[in-house]
Amino acid sequence: METLKSALDFSDFPRLDLVVAGSLAILFLIFPVFPHSSFAMATMIQFLMFSLYGMGWNTIGGYGGQVDLGKAQYVGIGAYTTTVMLVRWDIPFWFSMPVGVCFAVLWSFVLGYPLFRLKGHYFAIATIATSLVLKDLFEVWDFVGAARGLEISPIKFPPPDFLRLIFKEDVYYYDVILGFFFVGILYMNWFRKSRLGFQLRAIKDNEEVARSLGINVHWAKIKTYAIATAFVSVVGSFHACYIKNIEPEDTMSLDISILIALMAMLGGAGSLWGPIIGAGILIPLKSYLKEWLGATAGLIGIDLILYALIIMVISAFEPRGIWGIVQKVRRRRQ
Amino acid sequence: MALLELERVTKNFGGLMANHEISFAVGKGELLGLIGPNGAGKTTLFNCISGAYPVTSGRIFFDGEDITALKAHEVARRGLARTFQVYVASGDLTVIENVMVGCFMHTRSRSRARAQAGEVLKDLGIHDLSTALLNELPVASQKRVSMATAIATQPRLLLLDEVAAGLNPGEIEEIMGSIRHVHEELGMTVMLIEHVMELVMKISHRVIVLDYGQKIAEGAPEAITRDPAVIKAYLGERYAREHGAV
Repeated sequence: METLKSALDFSDFPRLDLVVAGSLAILFLIFPVFPHSSFAMATMIQFLMFSLYGMGWNTIGGYGGQVDLGKAQYVGIGAYTTTVMLVRWDIPFWFSMPVGVCFAVLWSFVLGYPLFRLKGHYFAIATIATSLVLKDLFEVWDFVGAARGLEISPIKFPPPDFLRLIFKEDVYYYDVILGFFFVGILYMNWFRKSRLGFQLRAIKDNEEVARSLGINVHWAKIKTYAIATAFVSVVGSFHACYIKNIEPEDTMSLDISILIALMAMLGGAGSLWGPIIGAGILIPLKSYLKEWLGATAGLIGIDLILYALIIMVISAFEPRGIWGIVQKVRRRRQ
Repeated sequence: MALLELERVTKNFGGLMANHEISFAVGKGELLGLIGPNGAGKTTLFNCISGAYPVTSGRIFFDGEDITALKAHEVARRGLARTFQVYVASGDLTVIENVMVGCFMHTRSRSRARAQAGEVLKDLGIHDLSTALLNELPVASQKRVSMATAIATQPRLLLLDEVAAGLNPGEIEEIMGSIRHVHEELGMTVMLIEHVMELVMKISHRVIVLDYGQKIAEGAPEAITRDPAVIKAYLGERYAREHGAV
């Protein structure tokens, strides 16, 4: 009961934040009613998906301060579990998604236990490496389609299918992911105020002090890593049904891992709104940049250059991202 | 019965002997001072007791239980808290949030943690700092917050590592009041490392002196001030003339 109350309690935010957040929530809800291009719809879905990825990353990366650059492997585990279960055994999304979460969380324990013996950059590098290795494994694993990937055929599963999450119109996907999005925000709102949330922030502050306060630092990190993983895996499963054609290259690539971390950092790591702000800026930018410049020869890598620039600016000027700037201005005004 | 008992505790860093076969006991309800020159191994000893460092040899008992091999968080959960000399904080948490982390050792409920943290801060007279960020505070206040956070875990034994260093006489007076309050009102056993003799000699029941990693003296403050070995190693002739011999 207290958990639910805490999840619904946003009262520690200033009024302005709540008005803005509320208006945006309403805007998202009624967005499909307004005339929009299919491109805009696709961008919105991407935005919601990446917001959720970012929220998940934010638990361990933001509140816990452990820069994780390997989230793509869990996108892959979620996406592949759902696709394989659907294609091979006709098991629908709502069953395969939790199974995917279980696999992903299990894998996160296997990795988390040794990886969290590492700190800082070493941890970040290790997460990249494990993610790339898993991707390579999937590229040669025939059961999951190897490098060709797997396809969810709309002929075999005629839309609309609410159980299997197979639709023709994007608006259904939009509604589903929007639902996840709101649940995600409520969860994160609870998380940041929970005991684990506080302990993580203490760990980020100073591990030695955290230990002296009875916190099992290693276990707290592993637990949180599993939570982050669950978030990412759910969206990965959704991604599979939405894209309907997955391959290791586009579900588990390094780009995705970096984009997830980058968005949360740009918006503000360790804050509730940070990942959403970050996704709100980077996803449209990425989509439209691709649209405008992508086809032009020689400009294909321009989004990567942009990411690099953002990383440099954030780390040089404001490690707490955009939300950090907002809070600084507010504190100064007080 | 002794609350804390050290049995020939030795800690080596490579060839450097930081603590050599140190044995002593701290009784329940005692207020014990630990003094000695810089580099004598006082903080290392705290680190060994609190489980931050594994000891090279020897054994440590807390309330009859052998805690030698326990990790820092396990020791903390048994009721042994400590403060840190240098408090490095990134400034993510406000003062009350810091103290709440301590409270969360005994409760899952945020509202209860918040209420308890508020009480601890009020107890130490720093309630007005609640919403400040730790790294914005002057050293004197940071030390008291560190103390408050440790107290929030409701320990039976509190290890204070130089909480009065760098403070002016007025602030020392205040922190002395805080230590007395914790000891008398909250009933905690306290062990403190301190260089400020006015403080340690005034409030300690008993003082232990370390030098080059070894225990060179142990006894009542008055006796320690007169001990020739302690005078030679740490206090100096002048201190002895002014305080002990007179």
